[in-house]
Amino acid sequence: MLLDRTQAPDYQLVNDARLVAVKTQKLDNGAPLYLIAFDQQPVMRVEVNFDAGSWFEPDDQAGAAFFAWKMLSEGTRSRTSAQISEAFDQYGAFLELNNGFDRGSLVVYCQPKHLHKVLPLLAELLTEAVYPEKEFDDLKTMTLQNLKVNFEKTSHVASVRFREKLFSRAHPYGRSQQPDSVARLTPADAQHFYERRIQLQPFRVLLAGQVGITEVALVNQYLGALPVGPPGTEAMPTPTITTDPTPELIEKAGSLQSSIRMGRTLFKRNHPDFHKVLVMNEVFGGYFGSRLMKNIREQKGYTYGISSNVGAFREAGQFMIGTDVKREFTQQTIDEIWKEIRLLQTEPVGDDELMTVKNYMAGEFVGSLNTPFEIADRYKLILLDGLPADFLSHYIARIRAVTASDVQQMAQTYLAEGSLIEVVVGSK
Amino acid sequence: MIQYNQFVLDNGLKVFVHEDASTPMAAVNILYNVGSRDEDPARTGFAHLFEHLMFGGSKHIPSYDEPLQRVGGENNAFTSPDITNYYITLPTANLETAFWLESDRMLSLSFDQNVLDVQQKVVIEEFNQRYLNQPYGDVWLKLRPLAYQQHPYRWATIGKDISHIENATLDDVKAFFFKYYLPNNAILVVAGNVTTEQVKQLCKKWFEPIPAGNEYIRSLPAEPRQTQARLKDHLADVPLNAIYKAYHMPGRFDTDFQTADLLSDLLGRSKSSRLYQQLLKEQQLFSNIGSYLTASVEPGLFMVQGNLNEGVTLEQADAAINAVLQEVTDQLVPENELIKVKNQAESTLAFSEVELLNRAMNLAFAANAGDPDLVNQEAAKIQAVTPDSIQEIARQILRPDNSSTLYYRRRA
Repeated sequence: MLLDRTQAPDYQLVNDARLVAVKTQKLDNGAPLYLIAFDQQPVMRVEVNFDAGSWFEPDDQAGAAFFAWKMLSEGTRSRTSAQISEAFDQYGAFLELNNGFDRGSLVVYCQPKHLHKVLPLLAELLTEAVYPEKEFDDLKTMTLQNLKVNFEKTSHVASVRFREKLFSRAHPYGRSQQPDSVARLTPADAQHFYERRIQLQPFRVLLAGQVGITEVALVNQYLGALPVGPPGTEAMPTPTITTDPTPELIEKAGSLQSSIRMGRTLFKRNHPDFHKVLVMNEVFGGYFGSRLMKNIREQKGYTYGISSNVGAFREAGQFMIGTDVKREFTQQTIDEIWKEIRLLQTEPVGDDELMTVKNYMAGEFVGSLNTPFEIADRYKLILLDGLPADFLSHYIARIRAVTASDVQQMAQTYLAEGSLIEVVVGSK
Repeated sequence: MIQYNQFVLDNGLKVFVHEDASTPMAAVNILYNVGSRDEDPARTGFAHLFEHLMFGGSKHIPSYDEPLQRVGGENNAFTSPDITNYYITLPTANLETAFWLESDRMLSLSFDQNVLDVQQKVVIEEFNQRYLNQPYGDVWLKLRPLAYQQHPYRWATIGKDISHIENATLDDVKAFFFKYYLPNNAILVVAGNVTTEQVKQLCKKWFEPIPAGNEYIRSLPAEPRQTQARLKDHLADVPLNAIYKAYHMPGRFDTDFQTADLLSDLLGRSKSSRLYQQLLKEQQLFSNIGSYLTASVEPGLFMVQGNLNEGVTLEQADAAINAVLQEVTDQLVPENELIKVKNQAESTLAFSEVELLNRAMNLAFAANAGDPDLVNQEAAKIQAVTPDSIQEIARQILRPDNSSTLYYRRRA
C-alpha cells in the first residue's frame, strides 16, 4: 500500500493526567508535611516553605525579605558562610533560597543517601541564622552590580515599570529591587525580617522524589523538632492596588529593539472566569501557534518572540503581553496587538483553532507533570492558595468545557479598549 | 543508567529506543549531524537559520506546528557548533503523529521563498535580542575568533555577521538540506511508554522509504596548538568591567573530559569553590566569578569569567585569577575537596536523568559521538579521577600560553 503522507495519522484526545497522589501528614511539631513519592532516580527535594515573601516587608524596606532569605546561608551562630557552603557542597546538595511576593522558601536538592547529613544543616539555618556585616555587604555589592547590568536591559526596565504602573510602588506586587532602596538596607533590617517571619514561625514541608519511610522519619527527626511559636500577629495593612493608566515611553538611545509590555490586573485562580481566560489567553498569545506569534513573528518577522500570559499571586493576578521588537516596528506591533484583540472580541474563534488550543493545553498539562518536582510545584499552588482538591484533576475537563462564545466574551470583558496599560522601553 | 535498544534502517538512520512505562508521554529526538562548524566561512549562521526553516512546512505537510499542537504535543529545536537537534514530547497514544511530521521534513522541505524571507527577519531579531541589545551580549562574538584561529568554532552559531543571514538564498537552503538532512546523517531516539517493536514498525512505515544520500565526511581544519597568550581589550558601554579567559581543552567525549570538568568545578562551580572563596569573598575583587566548559565534541574551551567590583583594575583581576590557577597546577588538591566535586557531579548526573527528554537527548549525543554506551560511563569516569590526574590536566590546560583573555572594559 502506498503511503499517503498528506494524511495525518489518527489521534486520541487526552483527557486524564496520571497524577501521583499527594500524602499529607503532620510532623511532631504540627507542621504539615506533603509527600510526593516517585520512586525512579535516586534524587529528592526538600522544601521548607514560610509565609514570608516581600508582602511582609515594611514599605520603606523593599529588599529586606530578599536579604533575609539569601543571607540564611551566610552564617549561623556556629558556622561561617564558607563553612555552610562547604557543608552543602560536600554532600552534592544544592541549596536554593527563594523569596517571592507572598512566600519564601528554603529548598534543597540532594540524593537520599545524604539526607541525614543535610537536614541538620537546614534546621540550623532556620533557627540560628546570623547576619554578619561583611557577608551582608558582599551580598549588597553583588546585588547592586546585578541591578546595574539589569537596568541596562530594555526588557528588564519594561517589566519593572509595568508592575509599578499596574500595582503602584506602594503595593508589594508593584515593588522591585531598586538601587536606592537596596543601598539603604542594613543587616539589622534583614535580621529583623528573619526574626519576625522565619525563625520560630509556622512552616510547611514539601518532600518530593525518591522518598520513603526512612526519609519521612528523618525529616520528622530534624524539622519536626524545630520549635514553632504562634503565627506572627502583627497587623499588616491591606495594600490597595492603584493602576496608572497613562501609556509610558522610556527612551533608550541607541537601542536596536523596543521592549513592549501591555496588560492589566486580573483575578486569582479561584475566580469563575479563570479557566475561560486561560483558554482566551492561549488563543491570543499563550503558545507558539498563538495569533500574536503567527501575526507578528511568523508573518511579519518583527520579533523573535511575542507572548501573553496570565499570572496569579495569592491576593491578585495580572495579564501581560510582552515582546522585544525591531525598534522601527514598535508602533506597528502595538497596532497589530490591538487588531488581534478586536478580532477576538468581534469574531468567535473557529472550531478547529479552539480544538487545537484545548488539545495543546491538555497535552502540555499532562507533559508538565512528568517529574516529582513538577508535580510538587503544582500541588504547592493549590495547597497553599487553598484551592479545591479537584483543581488539578478537573483541569482538563474545565479547559474542554470552554466555548467559542466564552472566549469572545472574555476578550470583551477583560481586554476592552482603555483597560490595558502600555509601557515601551526603547523608542517608538 | 539509561537502558536502550538499537537498530539501523536500510537507509542508514540509526534508531535508539529507551522504554519507560512510568510516564504517559513519549519523547522523540532527532539529531542531525550538522552544526555551525560545518558552515562555509562566508555563510555563517546558516545551520541555525536552517533550523528555523525546518518549521516552515515540508513536502506534503504545509504546517509543522499546528498538527502537533492538535494532538497535544510540544516541540522545539536548537543548533550548536556541533549538531542541530529537534525534539518533540507528546502523549504516547499520539506517537505516530511525530513520525509522520518528522519523516516528511526529513524527506524534503517545501522550500518556500516567503518562509525564508520571514525567518531571515526573525533570526536577525534573535541576533539583536540576544547578542546586540544586551550588555555583554556580544562576548562570544569577540571571544571565539580570539581563541580559535583555524577551526570553525571561531564563529558563533548565530553567525559572524548579520549580512551572512541577509544574503542567504533559496539555492543555499536546498543545497544545505540535501547535503546534511539525510537519514544516514541523523540519529533518532524514541523514549517513554513505547516498545521497541512498535518503534520498529513505525520507522519502517515512515522513515525507511526516505532514500539515503551521499555520506557526509567531515574534514575540518584542526586548531593548531596555541603557543602564545592572547589578549583582547574591548571598550563598550557596559556598567562594569568584566574578564573572560578561555583555555583550549579536550573534547566532550575525550577520556580526560571528566577530569577537566571536575577541575572547573573545584575552581569555580559553587560558593565553596576556590575562585569564589578567594577572589570574591576574601579579596573582594569580583561581584561574580565562575568557571565552566563549553563541552564541544571537538576540543573545546575551559572558561573562567567574572564581573569586577568598582575600583578593581582588569590587570589586577587577571593576575588574581592567574594566581588561583597557578596554585592548582603547583599543588595536589586535597582528597576531601575532590570528594566534594565528585559528589556534586554524581548528584548532577542523577538529576539530569529525571526528565525523560534529557535522557533521550543524552543518549542521542553519545550515539552521535560514536558510542551510545558513553551515556552510561559518565559515573565511572567521574569516580576514576584522582588528585594526580587533576594536577596533570591543570598543567596541560591552564598554561598561560594556552590562554585567550578578553578584557571587557567599561567606557569611562
